[in-house]
Amino acid sequence: MVMKRPPEAGEILQGTLDMLILRTLVLGPAHGHTIAQAIERTSENALEVEQGSLYPALHRLEDRGWVSSGWGTSDNNRRAKFYRLTGKGRKELNAAAGRWRRMTRAIGLVLGESFEQAGGDRR
Amino acid sequence: MNMRRFTHRDRKDRDFAEEIESHLAHEEDANLARGIAGNDARRQARVRFGNPRTVREQVWRYRSFPWIEDLWRDFRFALRSLAKTPGIAIIAVVVIAVGIGVNTAVFSVIDAVLLKPLAYPDPRELVALVNTGPRGNFPGASIPRFSLWRQQTSIFQKVAAYDFGGAGLNITGSDHPQQVQGVHVSADYFSMLGAPVIAGRTFTAAEDSPNGGHVTVLSYGLWKSRYGGDPKIVGSTIQIDGQPYLVVGVIGSGFVTEAPADLWVPFQFDLNSKDMVFFFTAAARLKPGVTIPQANAQLRLVADQFRRMYGQNSLPPDGSFGVVSLQESMIGDTGSRLLVLLGAVGFVLLIACANVANLLLARAAARKREFATRAALGAGRVQIIRQLLVESLALSVAGGLVGLALGFAGVRLLLGINPGDIPRIGEDGAGITLDHRILLFTLGVSLLTGIVFGLVPAISASRANLTAALNENGSHASMGIRSGKLRSCLVVAEMALTVVLVIGAALLVRTFMNLEAVDPGFSMHNVISMSISVSGDRFQTTAPVAQVIQEGTDRLLAVPGVIGTGVSNCLPMAGGFGMSFDVVGRPKGSPDSQGGAGFCSISSGYFTTLKIPLLRGRNFTRQDDAAAVHVAIINSALAHHYWPDGDPLKEQILIGAGAGPAFAEGPRQVVGIVGNTHDNGPDTDPPPMMYIPLAQMPDPETALNSKVAPLWWFVHSQVDPHTLIAPISAALREGSGGLPVAHVRTMEELESANIARQRLNMLLLSVFGFAGLLMAAIGVYGVMSYSVQQRTQELGVRMALGAQASNLRNMVIRQGMMLTLIGVLIGGGGALWLTRFLASFLFGVRPLDAISFIATPVVLSVVAFFSIWAPAIRATRVDPMTALRIE
Repeated sequence: MVMKRPPEAGEILQGTLDMLILRTLVLGPAHGHTIAQAIERTSENALEVEQGSLYPALHRLEDRGWVSSGWGTSDNNRRAKFYRLTGKGRKELNAAAGRWRRMTRAIGLVLGESFEQAGGDRR
Repeated sequence: MNMRRFTHRDRKDRDFAEEIESHLAHEEDANLARGIAGNDARRQARVRFGNPRTVREQVWRYRSFPWIEDLWRDFRFALRSLAKTPGIAIIAVVVIAVGIGVNTAVFSVIDAVLLKPLAYPDPRELVALVNTGPRGNFPGASIPRFSLWRQQTSIFQKVAAYDFGGAGLNITGSDHPQQVQGVHVSADYFSMLGAPVIAGRTFTAAEDSPNGGHVTVLSYGLWKSRYGGDPKIVGSTIQIDGQPYLVVGVIGSGFVTEAPADLWVPFQFDLNSKDMVFFFTAAARLKPGVTIPQANAQLRLVADQFRRMYGQNSLPPDGSFGVVSLQESMIGDTGSRLLVLLGAVGFVLLIACANVANLLLARAAARKREFATRAALGAGRVQIIRQLLVESLALSVAGGLVGLALGFAGVRLLLGINPGDIPRIGEDGAGITLDHRILLFTLGVSLLTGIVFGLVPAISASRANLTAALNENGSHASMGIRSGKLRSCLVVAEMALTVVLVIGAALLVRTFMNLEAVDPGFSMHNVISMSISVSGDRFQTTAPVAQVIQEGTDRLLAVPGVIGTGVSNCLPMAGGFGMSFDVVGRPKGSPDSQGGAGFCSISSGYFTTLKIPLLRGRNFTRQDDAAAVHVAIINSALAHHYWPDGDPLKEQILIGAGAGPAFAEGPRQVVGIVGNTHDNGPDTDPPPMMYIPLAQMPDPETALNSKVAPLWWFVHSQVDPHTLIAPISAALREGSGGLPVAHVRTMEELESANIARQRLNMLLLSVFGFAGLLMAAIGVYGVMSYSVQQRTQELGVRMALGAQASNLRNMVIRQGMMLTLIGVLIGGGGALWLTRFLASFLFGVRPLDAISFIATPVVLSVVAFFSIWAPAIRATRVDPMTALRIE
């Protein structure tokens, strides 16, 4: 049984990891290690990818046909498995990004309003 | 669902392991670049990633059906674990196979009789036309009824008439004449039932009208056996009863009828006839959408119309017409009989379940440490229960498979020996075929069984106290008070179920014995019966029939070894024809002036051959012919009812007045009174009977009779009549001018067919009862010997403290008999309530028969006592030293 606990800062919200991976792969094929690093670096180290959950996510995306994979050689001249965004994956990314923006906007609206009111009361 | 997820799991896992290695290498590189030293760089990479195995397992599980995989793993483990105790596994499978086998057997009969739809297109539309009245429905039709029913086109698509080929027809005109089942039908019969015509056609309306000519349709069987499947037979003529008949068609092999038919001939009714005699049956196909209640409502109006057309007395005051589904009319009261059997086999299965549950409880007790170890390693209660349930399901499904084969083969074998008067099962049970319903039933019963007998041991095993179980010494792991109590409960239940079953069996055995003890009223010893059909044009008047009887009798009496011979147009035990009569001279309308009785025409030798005693007056003689004074003999049941004080021999009766022109005749002088015969079977009172000489039948009655019934010949011989079949048949053939002889059977064979139903009931319930008794005995033996084994130490201590061997023995016996007695009491109570459902199957014994209710518990207790004896003796042989040293 997994205990539910409040998400701490830096932990990636459930369900958003898939979207972040797909977004990273827009820039070109990458292997697991680079994907994790890219997410962390792009988010200015605000987000930390738990490496244990990265790979299950990648395999899930591949089974859904959103990414494809193949072995290749990395910059370090090591063997690595590269993931590439598929057409289906690109569509999914657009849809997921749209959903995310709509949601954050909605949440922002709610939060913004209540902050203003709270501020007004204090004044 | 995306199936890619579940494929190539092993390859993907190896691939993933490699990917993880690659990731760790890259992370190590990154760490080195950050300036962390070699070993540390590697260690930190691993720390950051976490346990690779956990991640791999996570992905592995994501790629699996957890539920099915667990089940599969449990199943393989179950097989391994059962293989460790093959003895228990085999006994359990055999016990379950017996329990499920009897259920499959009974269900396969229920399937064939009750569940399988009739083998005709749209069988739900088919109905039997019946006459209704306060005493229930009875089939039978006369031409005026049939004619009126046929006109009800608003409810019926088609109405057809048929008989059961009663008289038989003779195929002649070749080297080997043959008596065949020739069924009379109306033209619509084949199209109503959707019969497959494989050659030619069926009858036209013109062919089915008076003077429509001699035509016939052959069955597939006769076409193959007698005509070698020659298609050219259609259009040619064959000789039936010495007349040429044109073969117009052949029906395919799939066409199964209620009464077997070799060939069909048209009735050729005169639909304007006013003849009210019932000599055939009618069925109809409802119009689509018309329900049986709607048809019944319409037919009540038809009954009113019938009264207006033919007079108020043409129907009884409460009488009307109606329909019942054809299938229902074929099954009759067999349904309730089969359900009682199903109940009985349900009991057998429950006893089997209790037995196997007991075995598994013992096994689970011995495996206590195994479960404790598993629990210690993290197995949850649910997992242990699941594991044990899978084990019991593996047993029950294996038992079910064996039981399916056993039951299916067994029921065919049994019905081959004794068809037991069950409709729709075909020749020797050939109508019982394996179908999806039987398979599903057996599978369902197997699974249910597995859960029933597996759940109790599984739950009790999962309750194991960890520390206690692990610390206990394996060799005398006590079974614990709770599971000991459970096992005792199971034995009590087994005993109780067995008592009910055996009491039921005892009641049916007593019924059968009573039936066999009934004096049928006639002698069967060394009497053989056979039939010849007098169906042709040659026998439309009485004189030639009387001639055949005269000559046949003379020839038969000339056969060495033959003592006497008699002829009749009805078979004793099969019941005669019902006919009305008036007592001449009594005022009309008085209750004893008119009545109904069985009616049978016989030859002068009939009573002496069958040893039916002449109580008063005289027997018929050869002089009682058409020219002589018309006479009748009645039986004592009729005499007592209508002449309680008077003397019937001084009076005359008028037989068949108003029954139709065929039966119009003058009054007959009653000349004798004979003993009663149980014509409707041994379980019903003898009916009142009227007998007349065959030679004195009116010509039209003979013509009708020749159509519906053969002549039955009874030959009494000094020796076993089987040895005389050849000369008797030859003599009869010569005496009748070449008519074939059929249905040669001894009277004993007829009698046993007459109580076949009760014999089958008794046989089956005895087998079930015996199986239950055996299992219950094994059950009580198992529990007591196990408890003795478990208590070796205790018994040793008792002995060391000075207990006598007899004390110990009596203690074990007392405990075992206690269980038995509780079971017997509960079972007796259950039987008190349950045997009422057997009431309608009993004869001469009440459902609360004292003998059955006393004898059964006694027998059971004796059996239980002997089962307990061996373990009790073993208890006395415990060596105190060995028992104590175990510690």
